[in-house]
Amino acid sequence: MTRRLSRETLIKWAPLLVLIALVIFFTALNPTFFSLRNFARIAIAAAPALMVAIGVTFIIVMGSIDLSMEGTVSLTAVSFAFIFAQLGGSLAGFGWIAIPLVLVLGGLIGLLNGLVHVKLKIPSFMASLAMGFVGTGAAILLTGGDIVKVGDAAFRGLLTVRWLGFPLMVYVAAFFLFVGWFIQTHTTLGRNFYAVGGGEDLAHASGLNVTRVRVTGFALAGVFYAIAAILVVARIGQAESVTGANFMFVSITSVVVGGVALWGGIGGVWNALVGVLIVNVIDNGMVVIGLPDFLQDGVLGLLVILAVVLSTDRKMVSFVK
Amino acid sequence: MSTFIKDFIERETISRRNFLFATAAGLGVAAVPGVFGRGTAAAALTDPAIAWSYRDRASAYWNSVIAGGEAFVESLGRPKSALVSLINEGSTEKSLSDIKAFLAKNNGNCAIACDANDSPNARPVVEAVQAAGAYISTIWNKTDDLHPWDFGDNYVSHMTWSDEKPAEETARILFEAMGGEGGVVHLGGIAANNPAVERLAGLQNALKDFPNIELLDAQPADWDTQKGAALMASFLTRYGDRIKGVHCANDNIAYGVIEALRAEGIEDMPIVAYDGNPEAVQMVMDGQLLATVFTNPHWGGGISAALAYHAAIGTFKPSEEPKEHREFYGPTILVTARDAAEFKAKYLDSVPAYDWKDFWGPSNGQIQYKA
Repeated sequence: MTRRLSRETLIKWAPLLVLIALVIFFTALNPTFFSLRNFARIAIAAAPALMVAIGVTFIIVMGSIDLSMEGTVSLTAVSFAFIFAQLGGSLAGFGWIAIPLVLVLGGLIGLLNGLVHVKLKIPSFMASLAMGFVGTGAAILLTGGDIVKVGDAAFRGLLTVRWLGFPLMVYVAAFFLFVGWFIQTHTTLGRNFYAVGGGEDLAHASGLNVTRVRVTGFALAGVFYAIAAILVVARIGQAESVTGANFMFVSITSVVVGGVALWGGIGGVWNALVGVLIVNVIDNGMVVIGLPDFLQDGVLGLLVILAVVLSTDRKMVSFVK
Repeated sequence: MSTFIKDFIERETISRRNFLFATAAGLGVAAVPGVFGRGTAAAALTDPAIAWSYRDRASAYWNSVIAGGEAFVESLGRPKSALVSLINEGSTEKSLSDIKAFLAKNNGNCAIACDANDSPNARPVVEAVQAAGAYISTIWNKTDDLHPWDFGDNYVSHMTWSDEKPAEETARILFEAMGGEGGVVHLGGIAANNPAVERLAGLQNALKDFPNIELLDAQPADWDTQKGAALMASFLTRYGDRIKGVHCANDNIAYGVIEALRAEGIEDMPIVAYDGNPEAVQMVMDGQLLATVFTNPHWGGGISAALAYHAAIGTFKPSEEPKEHREFYGPTILVTARDAAEFKAKYLDSVPAYDWKDFWGPSNGQIQYKA
């Protein structure tokens, strides 16, 4: 009995152990890796990806998948840049109104995504992928392929103003991480995600409105993608139709590496955090130790496989699809 | 059998026969120039349909190319919509099948400008165009053994840009701003892309004349702003204060580098870029960038369509032109703080009205292949 318990505990903490091992490994090869400055750099790169990863974690916990993040991030980023400019282009003025508007927009895109998935009975994989393309297309339509700059010093303070060594955007991401954790553990909705992911038939038979839970989940994910979009704009000072590119790979890899099971019901926002940190530590660390660039993609792939092997309890899984 | 069905079958048989006749006649017409060979009026097309085959509309570069193509068709007195966009979305298969469909739809009465998406794809594209009796000009992608002059008149021209020399010039500007000493990092494009290789080679050429400059690192940032920012941050951890200058493979990467430095409170790092996008030119004027390089995609887009069109209607006969008019380099203009304002006024604030019959004026000499 104790043996089984320790094995479960080990698997539960495996992603964190992988992260710590990576930090020790990179520090051993180049001590400058272990510095506040570098941790801040990793945090800046990880903050937007973390928001996307938390959003998709809710969906994966439900046993579905959401691939709309690239289009949603692009469209909300571009919309934010336009609305912000339209409202005077300054946080000090009315520009701040753009933030809640864009969060609502993200929620609406997610809502639509969920409705297409549930009402038209299209697998979430396909419905969300298609919605992602629509989002990217709309972003191209809005920008005509151009870059929209956001130069307001107050807004860019998210990147340039530091507190205890970390830029404000890192604290914003941390705040929404706690919001995600609160939703996951302290709300009915959060528990329903696990009910649907752990056994949808059972949840349905127990009187749970599975349809509503799913649609709400997608809408919630959309809001988190919109937060990611705002953080990206804060980080690089511009929005364009390719702003969301790469987020699909980074977020889903992170979530899985962090120990969230793709078959649903297992994991949560802390796994997403650890996963995003693992991926970003690898990205940063490979450059910091001076690994040749032609090896980096291969090594990233191998480390991802290793991390998943260590962090999922494959004895519990009867088949893998 | 009812009369209706009999009539129907008869009618369909006749129309199918007519169709076969028509097809044979069409092929005959297409073959005529081949039969009579050189010297006859090969350019038999009147009012050909004009198309541009390219990657996507999500970048300033391709938008500018297509704006040039549209300016050209407008100069013919046609609406912008007369330029058909064949968007391949980065798919070689789609590039070829779209062009074949366009040729079939217009019975080969076509003038096409094209970036074939990858080098090997240029050959099947050109062969399909020649088989249909249409005319094509290509840019960027083709293999070194594929030449317009091997295809008579139908493969009108190929234009590409040599990035090595301009990238060397930006590197020299960077090194001089660094006072001729210190460490430099290079953030490159997608490693296997030809422009990425050439832009790094340009930097390395310049290094030979500056013995006190050390190339600390050169890694791909995939032409991407966010990747550029993350890579620059990692470089800062590895090399710290040793970095005295940054050489970027394109403007988008430079935007990311500037933001990564801004996050650290570094404002005065010498940086050079490439592509001459409007935002980058503004940054040159503001002193955030030392230099960028403009390749005039607007002109390239217009002139490629113009070359195919005018060859098709017989304004000039490609096979009678010298080789430097069949394979040539596009223009490159170095933009530095000294001339940025003038450059912006001339090329960006208002697009110059080009003479679309001056096919080779701004071009940059015949393409040279490395042995």
